[in-house]
Amino acid sequence: MEIIEMDQLNHGRFETWPFSHNHCLSCGLCSSSCPASGMDEFDPRKLVRMVGLGMAEQVVESRWPWICTMCAKCGHVCPMEIDIPGMVRRIRGLRDREKIPGILRKGLEAALKTGNNLSLPKADFIFILEDVAAEIADEQPEFEGLTVPVDKEGATILTTIHNKLVNTHTNDLKHWWKIFHAAQEDWTVPSDNWEGTNWGLFTGDDDAMRTLTGRIVENMEKLKAKTLLWPE
Amino acid sequence: MTATYHDPCNYGRKAEKQFGHGFFDEPRWILDQCMEHWVDLHPTKGDQFCCGGGGGAMTTGYHAERIRYGRQKMAQIRATRAEMLVVPCHSCHGQMNSIKAEYDLAGLKVKYLWELVADCLIL
Ligand code: SF4
Ligand code: SF4
Repeated sequence: MEIIEMDQLNHGRFETWPFSHNHCLSCGLCSSSCPASGMDEFDPRKLVRMVGLGMAEQVVESRWPWICTMCAKCGHVCPMEIDIPGMVRRIRGLRDREKIPGILRKGLEAALKTGNNLSLPKADFIFILEDVAAEIADEQPEFEGLTVPVDKEGATILTTIHNKLVNTHTNDLKHWWKIFHAAQEDWTVPSDNWEGTNWGLFTGDDDAMRTLTGRIVENMEKLKAKTLLWPE
Repeated sequence: MTATYHDPCNYGRKAEKQFGHGFFDEPRWILDQCMEHWVDLHPTKGDQFCCGGGGGAMTTGYHAERIRYGRQKMAQIRATRAEMLVVPCHSCHGQMNSIKAEYDLAGLKVKYLWELVADCLIL
């Protein structure tokens, strides 16, 4: 086991973080409630204490903040209302961008560059939407005439799309559309920046999150839509 | 068919904390309109366990951890004996389908809340 000299630690390092971590009572309620406790020797109480002790390298380099799902069960039971998921997200943001696990960084970069996590070109996107709409009418005659209004101005509802629905799960595009058709809803899908997921949230990247959210606001303004449906 | 419902962390507990309103009752009202009978999970609403698919867990590549994380969720579902699970979240939907067979629940039908509504439409 690695020995850590207490006087070598910078206790004040995260003093300004707004998560109240220095109020921790060490009661352990968070750890008892957390479904990720025990994996990789993780538990939230330990993480809170390590942040209090300023152990930045250890928490940033560990897998802990990525195994935690930021579900907030711990904060829900914490008597001191310590915002553990908020703290976890901040730690994720300190990770060298090259070392973000899995496909998160690639997807986020694609979204920032192309408007969606898949770098799916606009023509292909529209082709998929129209193809799926035609399929619904083929399968169920009562939906004859169902179309996808792309970039329609002044619609009551503008909806974003989860990238997996125009990739591996196209069948799941159909449910909302059937409801819209049955309700005679006035709705639209934007042809640019339609991505509903925002991986700035998962990577602790506030700038990226703001950019992606801003594009959805722009779409709302540009198309003069009244209500945003953002099921992601 | 017996069904049950899972509250996603973001629509429930986290929305309540961050925006002052957790969407607990709205989906339950919809379930009541669509089904004769469904049973709630225990614990429920703000006390729910996360399914293990949140926070980008579907994308980090830590599969073994994600499957293990979901054990409490699967135990909750098993206790209801439900054959169908309704969820209003893409991450929860993906996670439950991805891990159910690991917990001997391969036959569990996982349905989006809006899919349930679409299924109930009579034109
Ligand atoms: S937010 Fe993270 S630490 Fe807290 S209970 Fe959920 S998984 Fe555990
Ligand atoms: S529940 Fe709160 S006070 Fe108790 S150990 Fe966890 S962080 Fe500290």
